[in-house]
Amino acid sequence: MAAPMALRRQLCCLARIFSGSSHSGPRALGACSALRKCNIIRSHLPLPPSTSLHTATVFSSATPSSITVTEEPDTLFQKVSVLVKAHDRAVLDSYEFFSTMAAKELGITVNKVYEPPKDTERFTVLKSVHIFKKHRVQYEMRTHYRCIELSHITGSTAQVYLEYIQRNLPEGVAMAVTKTAMEKVPDHILEPIWDDHPIADKPSQ
Amino acid sequence: MASHTSKAFLSLGRINIPRLGLQKTASRVTYSTGLSVNSANKKKGFPERSGKGNFVKRPRRDEGEPRTKRMPVDQDWTAVYPAAAPFRSGSVPLPVRMGYPIKGGVPPEKRGNLELIKIPNFLHLTPAAIKKHCEALKPFCTEWPSALDTDAKCDEHFPIKVESTDYVSSGPSLRNPAARVVQLKVKLSSLNLDDHACKKLLKLVGERYCKDTDILSITTDSCPTRQQNYDYAMYILTALYHESWKTEAWEAEKTAADMEEYSWEDSQSQRNILDVLVRMKVAGEGEGEEVREQLLGRSEVQEYKDSVTRLKNEGESESTMLQYKEAVKKVLNL
Repeated sequence: MAAPMALRRQLCCLARIFSGSSHSGPRALGACSALRKCNIIRSHLPLPPSTSLHTATVFSSATPSSITVTEEPDTLFQKVSVLVKAHDRAVLDSYEFFSTMAAKELGITVNKVYEPPKDTERFTVLKSVHIFKKHRVQYEMRTHYRCIELSHITGSTAQVYLEYIQRNLPEGVAMAVTKTAMEKVPDHILEPIWDDHPIADKPSQ
Repeated sequence: MASHTSKAFLSLGRINIPRLGLQKTASRVTYSTGLSVNSANKKKGFPERSGKGNFVKRPRRDEGEPRTKRMPVDQDWTAVYPAAAPFRSGSVPLPVRMGYPIKGGVPPEKRGNLELIKIPNFLHLTPAAIKKHCEALKPFCTEWPSALDTDAKCDEHFPIKVESTDYVSSGPSLRNPAARVVQLKVKLSSLNLDDHACKKLLKLVGERYCKDTDILSITTDSCPTRQQNYDYAMYILTALYHESWKTEAWEAEKTAADMEEYSWEDSQSQRNILDVLVRMKVAGEGEGEEVREQLLGRSEVQEYKDSVTRLKNEGESESTMLQYKEAVKKVLNL
């Protein structure tokens, strides 16, 4: 019992330290990963609110022990499709390089990366405030797309990868993630219930 | 003079002014602030003559040499740009030029270039930085089970596929109502259904079943949250499954028009062919049920039955028409 309590204290102190410094340096590597670790653990362990601070705790010593493993089974995603939309093609090129490299480093299989054709929305408005109907001005908005399909990825890995990708999404870029999760046939659909209760007009569940 | 004293009255408000001498000093006090501009000017130089009045320009400090001149080639770039930041021309040691070129010239340099600041940069996500980040993230990833390497195996063990979409965009609100839609896809071959249950399920489901891929897709978006829509989809699947196994009393009234597939027994085609064969006196003299049954047992009649069923169920094509032609020729001895 002493070990889990010590663990919780270390984590609480980490959270306090890094939440204090987080608004000064937004996405420094150390703070980011520590916060994420603390966030993940907060979802699994209920941290006591008033715990004494151990100011002598060092970040590196807490790293190996801050990962928790829960009993619930991981979701399995057969396909995760990430569609990114932006007004600028060059930004999407760079983002694609970043996300494919991140996927390769984390060991995620990239099925294919392709570029759906761009959409252009055009409209014509009057140039002048009053009269001059023959003089108009035309505007257009171009939306470029990029789609990255990942396959055979587990729930934890997907969460990590998607959070990393989304935190580094540049300004002016939108994303839509379509996840296809695989599940077993639930127990109540394996056998029909009418075998036990052969009455034909029993109300269905 | 009169105007000065009146202004002094206005500025002093309700203070009593007993003597003229005091008035003069008071008026001088109110105007001393107005005169301070000139005294300050003598130190700093001429102010702008754009009509702003009391505005004074401070002298600019000379800028030092940019940091790029002192950067070693093998420095740690992740320390220069650890997080997303706008482009700083003094911190990036690259001779970048951006913008529309001036006439007969080149695009403008990076110093004071707004175009480089406007566009989002990926200087904080160089390959070295990505590798560092991924090394830190690797402990949180789990491995895909190696036994499920092909899609066929995945379908066999995990036949139900649940599809949902998440949206990320900048705007006043985080929520996107399209994120609540859940689509459930199942292959009917993976469910425990007998013949009658399968047909009843198809009739109940209607448009949601695709015959080519044998996939039943249930799309739910009537509830406000994704969890509720998922539960609703699972409930629909359960209800469909159990209802299709049930046989109601009125199902016995199923007519030939309700049948999904064509069956040759007791059909007009059977009666026709038997009438023709009896008239041709193929099985010898005599009429009645035994003759008809004998005729049915013949191989040509069976072939004819197969060809007609195939033609009706699969539609017209080269092979089905050929088969029908051969069967008719054999039956009628042409």
